[in-house]
Amino acid sequence: MKNIFPNQLSSHVWFVVPAVLLMILLLILPVFVAATFSFTNYNLGSPDFEWIGTKNYEVLFKYSSYKKMFTASFTYIFVVVPISIILGLFSAILISSLRFGGEIYKTIFFLPVMATLLAMAIVWDFTLDPIVGIVNQTLQKGCNTNFFYSLMTGSWLGFNPVDTWYGIACAERMPNWLGDKKYALGTIAFIGIWQSFGFNMVLYLAGLTAVPRTLYKAAEIDGASGSWESFKLVTWPLLGPTHVFVVTITSIRSFQVFDTVEALTRGGPSKSTYMMVYAMFEKGVKQNLIGIGSTLTVVFLFFVLFLTLIQVYFVNRKVHYS
Amino acid sequence: MYSIELKNIKKNFGRTPVLKAINLAIKDGEFLTLVGPSGCGKSTLLQILAGLESQDEGDVIINNKIVNNIRASHRNLAMVFQTYALYPHLTVQQNLAVPLKLRSLTSAERNPFIGPLFPTRKRKLAKIQEKIIHTSEILQISHLLGRKPAQLSGGQQQRVALGRAMVREPSAFLMDEPLSNLDAALRVHMRTELSQLHRQLKTTFVYVTHDQAEALTMSDRMAVMMNGKILQIDTPDQIYQNPLTLEVAEFIGSPKINIAPAEYDTNGHLTCLGVKISFSTAMPEQKNVKLGIRPEHFEILPQDAKIGFLADVQFKENMGSDIYLHFKTNYFEQFFIVRCSPEKARFIAVGDRIRIRWIEEKILIFGSSNELVSFKKLKP
Repeated sequence: MKNIFPNQLSSHVWFVVPAVLLMILLLILPVFVAATFSFTNYNLGSPDFEWIGTKNYEVLFKYSSYKKMFTASFTYIFVVVPISIILGLFSAILISSLRFGGEIYKTIFFLPVMATLLAMAIVWDFTLDPIVGIVNQTLQKGCNTNFFYSLMTGSWLGFNPVDTWYGIACAERMPNWLGDKKYALGTIAFIGIWQSFGFNMVLYLAGLTAVPRTLYKAAEIDGASGSWESFKLVTWPLLGPTHVFVVTITSIRSFQVFDTVEALTRGGPSKSTYMMVYAMFEKGVKQNLIGIGSTLTVVFLFFVLFLTLIQVYFVNRKVHYS
Repeated sequence: MYSIELKNIKKNFGRTPVLKAINLAIKDGEFLTLVGPSGCGKSTLLQILAGLESQDEGDVIINNKIVNNIRASHRNLAMVFQTYALYPHLTVQQNLAVPLKLRSLTSAERNPFIGPLFPTRKRKLAKIQEKIIHTSEILQISHLLGRKPAQLSGGQQQRVALGRAMVREPSAFLMDEPLSNLDAALRVHMRTELSQLHRQLKTTFVYVTHDQAEALTMSDRMAVMMNGKILQIDTPDQIYQNPLTLEVAEFIGSPKINIAPAEYDTNGHLTCLGVKISFSTAMPEQKNVKLGIRPEHFEILPQDAKIGFLADVQFKENMGSDIYLHFKTNYFEQFFIVRCSPEKARFIAVGDRIRIRWIEEKILIFGSSNELVSFKKLKP
């Protein structure tokens, strides 16, 4: 048989060519295309376009709707990331200390992660409906239940019930969770936390199993008397690699929030939940403004890249012990 | 005076009894070794003593005080673990500081934010630093203080673990197989160092090991444990020469002691491997006994000697300083092992038939329930 690789030295090239080709075609090329389009005013369907330099980027940092977009995105991240991480760590520690029943808790907390967020968002839409939603119905009924009323208004602590948030809500009307710009971002963030802390919990559970048991014994012998002491001395620092991973993953995932915004608020009211990926979708897909859509994509990519670089830095430097 | 006493300690894991009524008294300043095969409960016993496990029954007494309900952190014991259990995120210096800081600083003083506000903190930290330097000089780890555990070799980690135990002058050191993760040469070296350290510190050492060599070389007294019971507590010499039971005799000593069945005749004479033995025990009512002969208590005789018995050499193990000859006799299925010098074994090859005898006064006799039978020598 004829040798199809007459030159032995070139055979390895043939082995990697398909993979490299696919990588370039599917992953790297689109980024470059997006980067190129971000310097144009190209609209899908129009026959030609002009090079407009960095005008798109200037627009991004000048117009108030994009300022609102950055505010919404970063507020969302700074709320969802810490809370879902602390909740995840806390529940992971509690579950890992259980002698039995841990599996049940794990399943329950992980359910929102497994469920389709879009479907869940529709359920949340029903739940949070200002009139017929179960949340507001319950709150409304609570106004006439003395125990619940005093609990929620804090009148048992000496507050004047009429001045409190719940007192006012009872007197006037229950909040429109998704339609009021005071509440919408908070509600979306709440759903984000509800959805993502189970995932963080699972990551922390995995991290906890990697902490050697003898370190707790050593800490106890060394005089760490109490779970808080040994948490500070052993658990928290030994979870270092997990922290880095969880923070990065949660940040990136929060950056990418889209389903809830699309299903529940569509960026409103008055752009209070106008998140980055949703803006990308709105400009690039709905309005066919490929130029500005690409600009958003590039900025988004830089944020994610930045987060990843931070992770790489920490993984390589500080938190690796082995 | 006893510094540590264990009274009637019992422990079950589920339905499996791990410790069956252990009684042990450890003298002040003593180096006591708990030795036994893996799974005999020696580590569990140490953990109970440390307070890391709780006993089902019985009392732990440290310095004449019952400490059953006192947490490990308040028992003032130090422990060295098999895996060293150093805090991987802290430098050697910080590792050594942990037990001191946790004990001498209040939790407010340890707080990174409000701690510096306390004037006492600075003085205490200086004292801690002094102790760390002192300890690291004794253990010769001063040059490692800035490193993290991952940057140290196994032997160095071992020293740091020892240092972390030493810095705060505990009332006793507990060591759970501290040398078994080291390579063979370093292990032998650390044995001497640990013994020296014990002499220097004059503190009680409780040392758990499965390695009889460690137990024999280092301890003042050793406790042989098997199946959750202490079979014998005595000096290494006594345990080697007068093991109270067959199990102890078989566990201690390398190569293993040779066991051969023997029988009394009506005149009270013992016969083993067809050879008459010229002494009898004090309890001649037991007809069948077992003889225990250490490998070094055989003697190779010239071929034409009239005493002893014939043996076929099956295997020759060269240990350098010693040669172990494995042989078989016509009377018994089992292999026996003789330890002899390389000079004597030079002309012996596998397959040879040699003539050997045992040194009678060294033979140990075990009765039907495996207990050591005291014996007296008969005049021929």
